[in-house]
Amino acid sequence: MNKYLLLGISIIAFFTIIAVLAPVISPYDPSAIDQDNLLMPPSSQHLLGTDSLGRDILSRIIYGARISLSIGLIAVGIATAIGLILGATAGFYGGLTDTLIMRFLDIMLCFPTFFLILAVVAIMEPSIFNIMIVIGLTSWMGPARLIRSEILSLKEREFILAEIALGASNLRIITKHLIPNAMGPVLVNATLGVAGAILLESGLSFLGLGVQPPTASWGNILIEAKSTLGVAWWITIFPGLAILVTILGFNLIAEGLKEKIG
Amino acid sequence: MEILLKINGLRVDFVADKRTVHAVSGVDLYVKKGEVLILAGESGSGKTITALSITKVLPRNAEIISGSICFNGVDLLKLDNRSLGLFRGKEIAYIFQEPTSYLNPVFTIGNQIVEAIILHQDKTKKEAFTEALELLRLVNIREPKSVFFDYPHQLSGGMNQRVLIAMALACKPKLLIADEPTTSLDVTIEAQILRLLMDLKEKIGFSLLFITHNLSIAKKIGSRIYIMHRGQIVEEGNVEEIFNNPKHFHARELVGAYEKIGRI
Repeated sequence: MNKYLLLGISIIAFFTIIAVLAPVISPYDPSAIDQDNLLMPPSSQHLLGTDSLGRDILSRIIYGARISLSIGLIAVGIATAIGLILGATAGFYGGLTDTLIMRFLDIMLCFPTFFLILAVVAIMEPSIFNIMIVIGLTSWMGPARLIRSEILSLKEREFILAEIALGASNLRIITKHLIPNAMGPVLVNATLGVAGAILLESGLSFLGLGVQPPTASWGNILIEAKSTLGVAWWITIFPGLAILVTILGFNLIAEGLKEKIG
Repeated sequence: MEILLKINGLRVDFVADKRTVHAVSGVDLYVKKGEVLILAGESGSGKTITALSITKVLPRNAEIISGSICFNGVDLLKLDNRSLGLFRGKEIAYIFQEPTSYLNPVFTIGNQIVEAIILHQDKTKKEAFTEALELLRLVNIREPKSVFFDYPHQLSGGMNQRVLIAMALACKPKLLIADEPTTSLDVTIEAQILRLLMDLKEKIGFSLLFITHNLSIAKKIGSRIYIMHRGQIVEEGNVEEIFNNPKHFHARELVGAYEKIGRI
């Protein structure tokens, strides 16, 4: 295992453990308002300080990790699944099927994703569930293209001919032989995608169309920080750092995987 | 002897950018039950394409123009892909030239043999597992249990060719098509693989269509031989006959080359 991969996995493992153990390790209730301790700087009672409603920033970041990580992972899961199905179908069958799928993909690429998501979330209710699905449905194009190009070169390889000569069906060849061989670059792409999805969720939450308060996500801690930026730096810095380090972690994993398998 | 496979007037074209190449132009041949038939010829003479046409596993830009391929009384060229799937691997199996590249690099040897077994037979994973070990033993692999969990890149070319033979024999096919199975192997391994194929033929009783450009192999194992040149069969007959009295100039060239190597 190389250095990048090790460091990246450690970072993500750290945040994942925090997210899973949130109720156990967070010192306060993330939504508990404490009027005696408004805008307290970091101290021994509140390690990362409190916000303008006296809520503990550390607890909010710990609970926010749950939301941000799960949105990132599930949205990318949806995007990769759609990408696998459409990309593999287009690449394997070619011809008209390929043309139809790829032109549809081109149309999807024409929309500015962020504004499309904004529009959809504005119409539907901005719940965590909806955000996961909307991000997933608007970011499958990259994976689909990648998988298609992998399949295009893999399907000409000798072991696929051997498999056809053994009498395997098309579905079996695609799912059992082509997709497992294409998984390397797909995995690299997916890790980068998780980082992108977390950023997207933070952006949406920052604009008020993402995860709704009082539920904490890293993005919506930042909105509240906006108005107090001049007096309370800790509300901005710590959730910002959490986002930065997590994205870095995923990017390091992607880089490490690329070196190892790509 | 009864005829197992009969190819009549087979023509295969390759189409690329409006240019058409006649890869196979009018091949007639037959394979009898239980015999070893040699299909010999230089590179590009169309012997591989003829063999791949039998179950239509041709490259995408190849097109079968005309002809018929009768296997046990069924014209394979008239069947659609789904019905052909019932012949591929079950009745007619292939082994190829570069064994390692014909195995899927991301799966273990055992996994791939098990797949070959359950593709056409209604068996549980457990039965297939035992059978796969037996197949590995059948092709003279000494430690089947450890090879079972190896990946193709961990084995030598000769070992991988044995694995491919095991996969091809998983469903006890009636016809085994070997497309230069020993060309990428060294001479001692070649001899082992040839002996193995002959032994298995006795045990299982398949017909063998052996493609080669090496006439010394033809002399060792073949009963009848066809010589191909530029997409056509230019000479046919018993191996002995061709060696003693080659008629077509290309057959004379091939036999001459064999004798020249023999003198070195």
